[in-house]
Formats: sequence, structure tokens, C-alpha cells
Amino acid sequence: MTELKEKIRENLKTVIDPELNINVVDLGLIYEVDVPEPRTAKILMTLTTPGCPLHDSIASGIKYCVLGMEEIDHADVQLTWEPAWTPDRMTEDGKRLLQGF
Amino acid sequence: MIQMFQQSSGNETNIKLPFSFIGFSMLALILSQLLILLNGDLLVSGVFRLPAIWSAAHLFVLGWALMVAMGAMYQLVPVAFLTPIWNEKFGFWQFAVTTAGIVSFAAALYLRPQDALIPGILTLLGILMFIFQMFMTLKSQAKPNILTLFVGTALFSLLATITLGITLVLSMKTGFASEYYQAIFKTHILLGTVGWFSFLIFGFSYKMVPMFSLSHGYSMKPAPYVFGVYVVGMIILISSFLTGSHLFEVLGTLMLFAGFMIFTWHVKMIINKRVKKKLDRPFMFALFAIGCGTLIHFATFAGSAANLLAKMAGPIILLYLVSWIAFSIIGYLYKIVPFLWWTHKYSKEIGKKKVPALKDMMDEKLALPLFIMFTAGTILLLLSFIVKLMPVFYIGQGLIVIGAVLFSYIIAKVVTI
Repeated sequence: MTELKEKIRENLKTVIDPELNINVVDLGLIYEVDVPEPRTAKILMTLTTPGCPLHDSIASGIKYCVLGMEEIDHADVQLTWEPAWTPDRMTEDGKRLLQGF
Repeated sequence: MIQMFQQSSGNETNIKLPFSFIGFSMLALILSQLLILLNGDLLVSGVFRLPAIWSAAHLFVLGWALMVAMGAMYQLVPVAFLTPIWNEKFGFWQFAVTTAGIVSFAAALYLRPQDALIPGILTLLGILMFIFQMFMTLKSQAKPNILTLFVGTALFSLLATITLGITLVLSMKTGFASEYYQAIFKTHILLGTVGWFSFLIFGFSYKMVPMFSLSHGYSMKPAPYVFGVYVVGMIILISSFLTGSHLFEVLGTLMLFAGFMIFTWHVKMIINKRVKKKLDRPFMFALFAIGCGTLIHFATFAGSAANLLAKMAGPIILLYLVSWIAFSIIGYLYKIVPFLWWTHKYSKEIGKKKVPALKDMMDEKLALPLFIMFTAGTILLLLSFIVKLMPVFYIGQGLIVIGAVLFSYIIAKVVTI
């Protein structure tokens, strides 16, 4: 199961925030990846700014990405503002891409 | 969840609506700058109040900037507030009425200003239709905050500007309120420039600056002071128009300068808290416009203190419109247009296949030459008012016209990606 969760997380790296040009995993937008029952993925995510006009696109992009995996038939993507995103949530790769060092 | 996505993917506005506004606006921009180019001899000799310049100013302010703002809002409001436009068909009607109003109004000002009444009312109707559309779209969604206050004040100023403008045409035609003509004329210009545009750009900047710089943990506390000081400055300056008091004029321009300074400082504080270290050029150009705005507000105050404002007003208004208003809008439009097209074309593809990044959609290589052209053009324009030399004016304004054409080309190119 942990393997599958990791695989989902790895796959989500193909979903790229079109404004920042960094994937949603390295940006730290993915709070939780869960597989509560077989072939069903549950993803808890946030966005950097509430009211970001891209939220629809990114959230549905994540959904399509997970549904594209052969191990998954159902995907439940939930958007949360609690806790709010902070720059500390970015991975080292994300920080490097954004801050250029 | 599935239901949520199905519902929200239906929020996207028919792309033809925002792009109709933006397409028309680019034509109005080029035409307005050409009109200024062709009437340079009068401008350089200090004559600003003539029909061709009235026409150019209204094409620029209503035909370009207002239409851009409307087009962008048709697309951004639904995605930002997760609510579809109240009535899309009504939106196309609103476009038709507003376009007919602005075109006939600009033509009337050029040919027979005293006949501008009906076109003016048609323009007002188009704008009222837009405000009604936005009100119906947002009435249950929007939680009022400080940004609502900025944008609300901007819209109120816009309506007041047009009402005063119609009063001016009436006064010209019938002699109505002719003893107040000068005061109404000055208030009309002040509300149209400072009241409508500055407040609108302040409001939108507070949304876009943190978004484009990815700023976190900044304070919004200075924003009410920006609003308060700037509004009071505007009111004192209007009272100077009514009373003829020079002291009020100096005080009013000082307060406007102070309000703008607080805004500039506040934006700097937000930028200092940014996570994204390298800012892109179009966004930096919008920030550069804020710097230009500070200088112009200072020049206005200094001119007023030296009792020279009457002489400087023409060049100051022109520079205010070009380097603060136009530069801001151009900078932000460089970011918004790719976003509009991207959401239309790629928002359903993300997660399924590789999609282009927003910055790949607009020609970034052309950004720097474009911004240099606009800036150099504006500096030469300013110089031509000081040295009163026609060749300097023609080169300066010529650069701005070429810039406007190039910018329209860059915008048009986005939709081919």
C-alpha cells in the first residue's frame, strides 16, 4: 500500500503549476495521499493563494493524473485551506527551482 | 467531489467574450496613439483642449483601458469566485452597446463635440450593463474586504466621471451650469484618472503582486491608510476646483502623493516577503509603472506648490496615463492574456499530458525591447514638452505607436499557441 501511495506521489510530479512551472509535489501542495480502499485514491491538497484563479485547473489536473494510473479507478481530490500553505512546505528541489540556488 | 469538478468546469466563460473586449481594446489603443501622433504640433505648443485630443483621450481611457478591464473581469471573476457569469448572452449585448457607445462617442468628440450627448449616454448604458452583470454574478459570492473598497470606489468614480462628462456636453450645448464648467471639467478629469484608474490598479495590485511574486506572511495593515489618505487627497483637490483655493490644491496634491507613497512602500514590503526570487519582466514592468506613478504624483505636488499646475496639467495627465496607467495594464496584460488562453485550451489537459507553462505562451524575448521602446518613447515625449521641438515629439510618440502595434501583435500571437 505504501508503495502505491509513493507511486501516486511520484506520478503527481507530472502535474505542473503553469505559473510557477514547478510540480505540485515539490511545491508542497499535496498534504495527504491515501488509498482507503482498493483502486481508490484520496488526495488532500492546498494551493499557495486562496482565490487563485488556477485552482480549478490544478485540482482537476491532479484528479486526471491519478485516474490515469492503471491501479486506480476512483479519485477523490479535496481542497483545504487548513493549515494554510507556507513556503516551508516546499521540498528542497522546489526551493531550488523557485529561488534559483 | 466529482460533482464539484463537473460543476466548476462549467464556470469558464465562453472565450469569445473576453477576447472580443481585448481585441477591440487593442484597436482603440493603436488609434488613440495615432491621433496623438497626428496632433503633435498643438500638444507641443501646450494646447491640450481640442477635439482630436479629447477623442484620443477617450479612446484610450474607455476604448482601451476600460475594455481591457471588463474583458479580463469576464474571465477572471468566474474562475476566482467559482461562479459562472450571470448571463453570458447579456455579456455579448453589453459588449455591443459599449463598443457602439465608445466608437460613436470618440467620433462625435472629434467631429462635433456638442453632439456627443447620445453617444455618451449609450456608453454610460454599456457600463451600467457591465456593473449590473458583475453585481448579479457576485451578489452571493463576494465577501467584502479592503479590495472590494478599492474596486468599489473605482467603479463609483467611473460612474461619477461619466455623469459629469454628460453634464459637460449638456453645458456646452445648452449653457447649463456654465459658471461651473471649469470646476466640473477638472473634477471629471480627476475622477477619471485618479478616482477610477488609481483605485482600480491599487485594488488589483494587492491581488496580483503577492500572486506573481509568491509572497507570504506580509501585512495588509497599510492598505486602509493608502485608501484613506488617497481618498481625502482627492476630495480636497476637488474642493480646490470648486473654491479656487490654492492652499487646498497644494494640500490635495500633497495627500495624493502621500497616499501613493504609502502604496509604493507597501508593495515593496510585499515584494520583500516573496518566495519567488526571480521576478519575470512583464511583472517588473508593472512594478516600474508604480515607480513612475510616484514620480508623477510628486511632480504634481511640486508643480502645485510652485503655483505652476495650470501650465503643467496637460503633460502631467498625459504622462500619468502613459507611464502609470498604460505601463501597469501592459505589464499585467502580458500575464493575464496567456492565462485566459491557457485556461481555455489547456486546463482540461493538465494531468493528462504535458501542457505549456504560462510564460511559454507569450513571447518573452519581445518583452524587453517592447518595454524599452515604451519607456524611451515616454522620456522623449516628456523632453519634447520641455524643449518644444517637434522632431523629438515625433520620435517619442512614434516609438509609442510602434510599441502599441507590437504589443497587439504579441497578444494576437498567443491565441495561435
